[in-house]
Amino acid sequence: MAKHSDDQRLELLQGTLDMLLLRTLQWGPRHGHGIGQTIRAQSDDLLRVETGSLYPALHRLVKRGWLKAEWGVSEANQRARFYQLTAAGKAQLSRERDRWSQLVDAIGRVMNPARASEE
Amino acid sequence: MCPDNDELDEEIRGHLAISVNQRIERGEEPAAARLAALKEFGNLTLTRESIQGVYRPRWFDAAEGLARDIRFAVRSLLRVKGMAATVIVTLALGIGANAAIFSVIRGVLLRPLVNRDEDRLIYIRQTAPGIGATNMTFSVPEVNDLKSRVPSVSAFGDFSTVDLRLIGLGSEPRIVKAGVVGGSFFEVMGLRPVLGRLLDAHDDGPDAEGAAVLTYRFWSISLNSDPTVVGKTIRLGPRSATVVGVLEPSVPYPADTEIIANIVTSPHHLGATMNTNRAHRMTELFGRLAPGASVESARAELSAVHTAMVREHPESYSTKASVQLRVTKLRDQIASPARTILIVLLAAAAVVFVIACSNVANLILARSVRREGELAVRAALGAGTGALRRTLLAESLVLCGAGALLGLLLARPFVAVVARYAARFSIRALEVTVDSSVLWVGAGLAIAAAVLLAYVPRLPSPQAPAGLGLATGGVRITPGTNRRLRMFATTQIAFSFVLLAGAGMLLATLVAMQTANTGVDMRHVLAVDMPPAATGFGMGDANVIGFHEETGRRIAQLPGVDGVALTMLVPWRDRFGPGIVFGVDGYTPVDGEERPRARFRVVSPRYFAVLGVPLIAGRDFTDEDRRDSELVAIVSQTVAQRLFPNGDALNRHMWWIDDYFGKVVVPRRIVGVVGDVDDENIVRAPAMAIYQPVRQIGVVGRLLVRAAGDPYALVPAVRRVVRGMSADQPVERPATLEDIRAEVLSPDRLNAFVFSGFAGIALLIAVVGVAGVLAFSVSARTREFGVRLAVGSTPRHLLARVLSEGGRIAAIGIAAGAAGGYLLARVATKFFTQVELPGMVPVAGAAAVLIAAAVVASLMPAARASRVDVLQALRSE
Repeated sequence: MAKHSDDQRLELLQGTLDMLLLRTLQWGPRHGHGIGQTIRAQSDDLLRVETGSLYPALHRLVKRGWLKAEWGVSEANQRARFYQLTAAGKAQLSRERDRWSQLVDAIGRVMNPARASEE
Repeated sequence: MCPDNDELDEEIRGHLAISVNQRIERGEEPAAARLAALKEFGNLTLTRESIQGVYRPRWFDAAEGLARDIRFAVRSLLRVKGMAATVIVTLALGIGANAAIFSVIRGVLLRPLVNRDEDRLIYIRQTAPGIGATNMTFSVPEVNDLKSRVPSVSAFGDFSTVDLRLIGLGSEPRIVKAGVVGGSFFEVMGLRPVLGRLLDAHDDGPDAEGAAVLTYRFWSISLNSDPTVVGKTIRLGPRSATVVGVLEPSVPYPADTEIIANIVTSPHHLGATMNTNRAHRMTELFGRLAPGASVESARAELSAVHTAMVREHPESYSTKASVQLRVTKLRDQIASPARTILIVLLAAAAVVFVIACSNVANLILARSVRREGELAVRAALGAGTGALRRTLLAESLVLCGAGALLGLLLARPFVAVVARYAARFSIRALEVTVDSSVLWVGAGLAIAAAVLLAYVPRLPSPQAPAGLGLATGGVRITPGTNRRLRMFATTQIAFSFVLLAGAGMLLATLVAMQTANTGVDMRHVLAVDMPPAATGFGMGDANVIGFHEETGRRIAQLPGVDGVALTMLVPWRDRFGPGIVFGVDGYTPVDGEERPRARFRVVSPRYFAVLGVPLIAGRDFTDEDRRDSELVAIVSQTVAQRLFPNGDALNRHMWWIDDYFGKVVVPRRIVGVVGDVDDENIVRAPAMAIYQPVRQIGVVGRLLVRAAGDPYALVPAVRRVVRGMSADQPVERPATLEDIRAEVLSPDRLNAFVFSGFAGIALLIAVVGVAGVLAFSVSARTREFGVRLAVGSTPRHLLARVLSEGGRIAAIGIAAGAAGGYLLARVATKFFTQVELPGMVPVAGAAAVLIAAAVVASLMPAARASRVDVLQALRSE
């Protein structure tokens, strides 16, 4: 079933959950369960977001105005709360994406100095 | 904004349902799928709570954290009850004293008066720096001049105080202090009646009906707020007046009188002296600023008019006196005598607070050293610097809050004491109560102390691993901590020293005054006021003299009476202006030398015997010294010595040189010389006094009775004798000279009492501080003492060592306090006119008390040090 055993799974880096949530919602509104599944699927099951972190994070983003939430009906005809990016959320996503690539770049240079100097 | 519980539940239920559905679609059993979904979800309640947490405002979390910290602080303080109690009591004393002083200051100096537009009210007075008069009041011609020429004051009110005999309102005939006012007084002062009406323009002038207003205090206390009082007729001296109303409660200024009457009730106010003599000053002047005028503009205008007035009438203003005009806001005028004393008290209270804080800082520092282990563990478990500080802050908040609470309870009795004290300087202090401002002061001081205290202890620094101390919980005292502890203890000693030396100075003065020899037998002499029917006019009337002499004769026949004398004033209680210039045979002042002045006294025969004053030469007055016989005088020893250095004063002549006695020189033969009696000063100074017999001048109505036994036992009999002779004659204020003098001394006694109170509190705190520091230092050095004992020190050595440490702290503190106090006094001389440095005795006394206290405080820790068990001590780490 699971493609990876528990110790292969990755811990989420602190501060990246918000960015992942925003990114996941870029393709349209989703409910909480769907968001968790999308992250899991897109990371090849390496990242799993615990519901205990997922829902508080979603509500926090709503409170900050980056997401908005509406009640809707799921594919299985189940009432669920759908989250959707706002304009402010889109701007925030692009900011976080920039910061993320800078961070990855910087860490990459530190970890592989040789390759960085060749480029 | 926050979704309600149902919504959250629905969202979570939806999540689970979707999850279960997917699992079932993948082929799981429904029951197993439900279980797996729940397991995957984790703790439902926790999730819901953390979602709700997102919507909680930040302060809510902070408050919750603080509440937790405070609960923790209370628990951990309960484990050190002794220390907590000491801290709380110390702070309570400091906060209580400050809160009390502050309420009095607020009540006396800052609160507005009840008078309408009270900030437009001014008080005008004349000073004569040349002769040391700070308020010589005004004469009627002066008042009229000012009234007619100053436009920036819209209205003037005048007030003078007289003693009038009051008959009516259901009491015995008695002398009351009465204010006599013109028609504009109440309008200018902006006061309202609580009953009836006040005096107005219709009551002014010599042709009006007699009318009087009762003051609120008199009406409510003496008359039980009798509502029917308006319209009653009373007899005031020889006139009668109708009570027209009751004044609202207000600051009685310039004098605390029982009634305020219009001018017709006082014959003196209608007389020529009052209205035409420019130098007959007894009127106080108030003004209300005209719209647009300021105190400054009024002052400028009044001063200009006054200067012109002085120039027009040079005969009434001696150049030596250099008479000037002063204008102040009424509120400041009322507050000014109390200002200095209250500021000094505030400083004393602040010093007590500093001492209290430094003592508490000491205890907290010692405690924090003991718990360095605990703090290190908490830091190791992830508590940040902020969290640790917050723990400490919570603890000091609990301590200071409790201290402030207790302090506010203490503030009530403190205020009562301080207000009674301040009432001697400002009548307003009588109305001071503990009000809500005290709460703010208390809370402010507590918070200031708490924040300060939370920053006293050092936190375990991340650089220096505290691992060593963790497990053992041992106390490790660093030189830095030790130095800080000692510094706080020294500070306390230094401040206590300043207060103790100050209190010692006041006590020394008081003792000196109380034990000073007065030259008079005070214990057996009863003084009684028997004011002649009117107000002292007609004092030379033969009938009046006869009445008093007959009264004296009858009293002298009572059993238990050793002698009776008439006099014009009761020593230390009555005043009769400055000395009067006189001349004598065979003495001409050198050019430019001041003519001698002496106190003018009128006494009956046997006066000196009744007082126990020795007759040094010549004879006493006799009943034969009458108006139609030779005029005679008796002089005091100092007069005899100064003016007749050859000792030949007897049978020479003296004469008064003053308009009061007319232009004609009336020589009197000196028939006796008596010992000095200083009836004006509490501490006897050489007194120039010249006595003349009652029968040649007149009586003012003071009776001295020398008793064989208890003087007060004679009072009813004396009263009966007087009643037997006249139903209208007041008999008042019977008291022994000893008690009269004590009454005069009571402000000094209160001074000493209040300051000693502060000094006592400071001393107590300082003793606790020194004991605390040494106890801590001893307990932290158990090992050191063990080693010392092991290498041959005797317990007695250790005892002496710790005692000398206590002594050293005290000595350094005293030196610092002496230096600081001296500097302080130097600075204070720039702001206050009278600053006295304490003499050697109080300073040495204060130092001795502090050293003794320090040694006593070190005794217990020292004893503990000397009893250290060597083996235990060496094993202790």
